[in-house]
Amino acid sequence: MSANIPTLFRTYQSRETHIECTIWEAARATSAAPTFFKRIEIGRGKQPFIDGGLGHNNPSLLVLDEAKRLFTTRQIGCLVSIGTGQGEIISIQKPGLFQQVIPTNVIGALRSMATDCEKTHEEVLGRFESLPNTYFRLNVEHGLQDIRLSEWEKLTDVEAHTAQYMRKREVEEKLSLLAAAIRDSDTRGRLAIAQLGMTKSSHEIIL
Amino acid sequence: MLGRLRMDVDKAIEHYDDLTEKVFSDKKLWGDGNFKATKLKEIIKSAVKDVTGDSESSLMESEEAGFTRTLVCHRYYAFAS
Repeated sequence: MSANIPTLFRTYQSRETHIECTIWEAARATSAAPTFFKRIEIGRGKQPFIDGGLGHNNPSLLVLDEAKRLFTTRQIGCLVSIGTGQGEIISIQKPGLFQQVIPTNVIGALRSMATDCEKTHEEVLGRFESLPNTYFRLNVEHGLQDIRLSEWEKLTDVEAHTAQYMRKREVEEKLSLLAAAIRDSDTRGRLAIAQLGMTKSSHEIIL
Repeated sequence: MLGRLRMDVDKAIEHYDDLTEKVFSDKKLWGDGNFKATKLKEIIKSAVKDVTGDSESSLMESEEAGFTRTLVCHRYYAFAS
């Protein structure tokens, strides 16, 4: 793999280059995770799309950059980030059947995916340091890390773990602040989006 | 589902449940990927058709359609030859 460039599929006009495609093609391309589905070629250049699951698994910074381009002077309401509960990948490190089935490079990728999400979260936290109750991250901390994407029969477990997370006191408090932030977003803006700083490239980040 | 198709949360969960069961209960025996991409495509298309009336609806929306802007991100790997 020689390059990894994030591609954004937008439902609106933008000055950035965009890929003309249908809804199903965008959905299919962004679910082309390796070991799950084969690649798909779309757009005029017939770009191959694979690896939907690796890299930019927490798109918060991409969204901030995009918002900055679209609404430069508008005041920021709030940013809500919802994780998939894959914060800890420790369980995958345990030797066992799972490791024999999944190649080591995929395990490595899964591990870096979790770290990638956490790093992005830390970075966004930093940007919103002076703006309390504006950035919210929800991520089910326990129970989901053992459940794989394909284990549809475990969806009731996902539901149970999520409900348990939502009932935690600190999460309940966060949710009520979040609801207030969305409700009052017209009146509470204190900072223009442009002032939040921008990612220069994936390697160079302005704090 | 929430953005472009404007489903409510319950409807989106219902579609997701249906999709994962249909796609992941059918393992491929050979070829690229573990599950059938054609099956996934078929189910996504039928969900799109359900909502918009046309399974080939374009991702781009007209300006008049409203203020919901949605983007999905994908990381593209180019293979060195």
